[in-house]
Amino acid sequence: MMKTFSIGGIHPCDSKISKDCRIEVLPVPSKVFISVAQHLGAPATPVVKVGDQVKVGQVIAEPAGFISAYVHSSVSGTVKSIGPRKDLAGNNMTHIEIDVEGDEWVEGADLTDTLVTAIPEDNKEILDRIKMCGVVGLGGATFPAHVKLCPPPGKKADCLILNGAECEPYLTSDYRIMLERSKEIVVGAAIMKQVLGGCPAVIGIEENKPEAIKAMTAAVSELQATAKGYDGISVMTLRKKYPQGGEKQLIDAVMGRQVKSMGLPIDVGAVVQNVATSLAVYEAVQKNIPLVTNVMTITGDCLPMEKQHNYKFRIGMPLSYIAEYAGGVPEEAVKIISGGPMMGKAIANLDATTVKGSSSLLYLTAEQTVRGVESACIRCGKCAEACPMGLEPFLLNKYARNNMMDELEENAVQDCIECGCCLYSCPANIPLLDIIRLAKGDVIRIIRGRGQK
Amino acid sequence: MNKILVSPSPHLHTKTSTKSLMRDVVIALLPAVVVSVLFYGWSELLVLGVSVASCMLLEFLITKYMLKKPCTLGDWSAVVTGVLLALNLPATTPWWVVFIGAVVAVGVAKLTFGGLGQNVFNPAIAGRVFLLISFPTYMTDWTKPAGFISNAAVDAYTGATPLGLVGEGGVEAIKGLDYLDMLFWNIGGSAGELSAIALLLGFAYLLVRRVIRPYITLSIWGTVAVFSGIFWLINPEVYTDPAFNLLTGGLLLGSIFMATDYVTSPMSNMGGVIFGVGIGLLTMLIRYFGAYPEGVSFAILIMNSVVPLINKWCHAKKYGR
Repeated sequence: MMKTFSIGGIHPCDSKISKDCRIEVLPVPSKVFISVAQHLGAPATPVVKVGDQVKVGQVIAEPAGFISAYVHSSVSGTVKSIGPRKDLAGNNMTHIEIDVEGDEWVEGADLTDTLVTAIPEDNKEILDRIKMCGVVGLGGATFPAHVKLCPPPGKKADCLILNGAECEPYLTSDYRIMLERSKEIVVGAAIMKQVLGGCPAVIGIEENKPEAIKAMTAAVSELQATAKGYDGISVMTLRKKYPQGGEKQLIDAVMGRQVKSMGLPIDVGAVVQNVATSLAVYEAVQKNIPLVTNVMTITGDCLPMEKQHNYKFRIGMPLSYIAEYAGGVPEEAVKIISGGPMMGKAIANLDATTVKGSSSLLYLTAEQTVRGVESACIRCGKCAEACPMGLEPFLLNKYARNNMMDELEENAVQDCIECGCCLYSCPANIPLLDIIRLAKGDVIRIIRGRGQK
Repeated sequence: MNKILVSPSPHLHTKTSTKSLMRDVVIALLPAVVVSVLFYGWSELLVLGVSVASCMLLEFLITKYMLKKPCTLGDWSAVVTGVLLALNLPATTPWWVVFIGAVVAVGVAKLTFGGLGQNVFNPAIAGRVFLLISFPTYMTDWTKPAGFISNAAVDAYTGATPLGLVGEGGVEAIKGLDYLDMLFWNIGGSAGELSAIALLLGFAYLLVRRVIRPYITLSIWGTVAVFSGIFWLINPEVYTDPAFNLLTGGLLLGSIFMATDYVTSPMSNMGGVIFGVGIGLLTMLIRYFGAYPEGVSFAILIMNSVVPLINKWCHAKKYGR
């Protein structure tokens, strides 16, 4: 029987329209704006000055804390300015503007296609390279990868889970790299597995991607047959259900373990990394290429087939440039999403630039995305049935609207993963997640405040 | 560039709405409606028409002129109440009695509490029970009016319902009833009880369309079967058997369509099971030991009032806790 997570979940449309579009490389624009906040944690500190010459892959900003990451230039050229610029939500953030001249890489970067299967023996060196190359989790949260790969003292990883679920509708970038870069992903997995002390690694893929399952399984067997250090890696087919790619849900599905409330995956011996992160680890460790590119999907029901794309982009490219290159924003689009339709962010500013974690430009039509008028709760319980954390959104909604903080905490509002299943399933169009998200913030602030006393 | 919308996630929404759910319930009731109209003819059509029309009219007038709230007629819930109320009455019920039932159902049981989502008691059952107590003669008049098609088993029948017969003459009185026959056309009773198959078809539809979860209905059936099974095994001369109890007295109609009403049933699956067991037990206690021959309506109403308590006790299993 195919595995999946045990609580809740929904089945939104699949809509993987762009799944057969091969990854195309976007040409470099004349100018890029590279944000210093491309990861979870403290924004990085710029280390270049206006007028500096930079090469592709050169460090332009350094981590400003333990949870932070290096940022590299994605182009070669001259630093034009360093200053505030609006990100996709419209908030000001420091960006480094670089005028592009040529395409010259830093020394040491191996740009060939040759697959390097021999894994360095020194784990410290591996971690160092992952850190120095600015690798962050590319599944959505952009958590610095090296931090996750160093379990705190006393904790041991029992299993490395590679997230190839790509459970969000429409997104196909992970799918494409699983088809086109399968072996590189497996090498990345083997590297991370070694760093974690040789625990088994499981690549979790949903059943709706049979070609990816086939490609990854073939890559695993081939590497196991030809190189050392690839034992204990396997592919697991998962039953399709959203949000399978949620870290907690994936751990439940693959290992049958549940992370305690407010706990970390490593507490139950799990380390979860996205397949795209694994590819970035491969490039960092084996090829010495910092994380300056990623793959994003350009899709939407209102785009004709020839305008659907999977692009390899460089960080700092304006989204408007990519949209133009792909054929322009369709007339029918009323909302543009960066990320999947369930958890992605609505773009307020198309002049914002790509970051390491960019995964899509998704165009949604009015019919698809405009919310209906809110009506009375009919107590159908569909929100509670859908919640993958086993919460009762209808109840949290009532408590939140009445500012009942103690009851909200007792009913675990802080455990909400903001997957959107409740709001998606509500037949009365109650903005459950909007309200719960706010309440969750308040309750977490209260809990943290309590700890400091 | 065109204007773009910005809002928090999620950006997609299910196509299921309150309206579509309620419409599905009406669709699920259609087989029972068709059977009742075929067998009871014009008088059943009149009951149905008056019931649905007055429920809708009352919902419209009360929300618009008394509550001065946005009209909720579009959510189809008044139609559901209307159809259910009609199916809960004998086909011979006079139109003005039906209207009074609608006033109690929509006006008192539903809108007084704040409308859809706020009512404690199932509106249709509240209406039916009010009529049962206020107009017992009309509510137990089981003479069969002329239908559009005829069936010997149904036509030959006048008098009390099977459960009524047991009430008067004990188990002896129902000897010779053919259960297979009852599966297709239950003799006597409210219009909606006519055909078990029609009701089961509706149940299947509701399950397939994921309108309801099966826990409440199945736990009612299970409890009734087990409870009556035990008593029947102890003394089949006094107590009716499980199949009889499952097929008669509106048990199917109540357990499939009324006990599963979202608003007046518990939220969690566990709560649903407790609720269902409660309804099953109360129904059988009333049937075996109570003054009324039939107890489903009372059982549902009583358990409706316990729902807030059940909701307080029963919570879903949370992840990692």
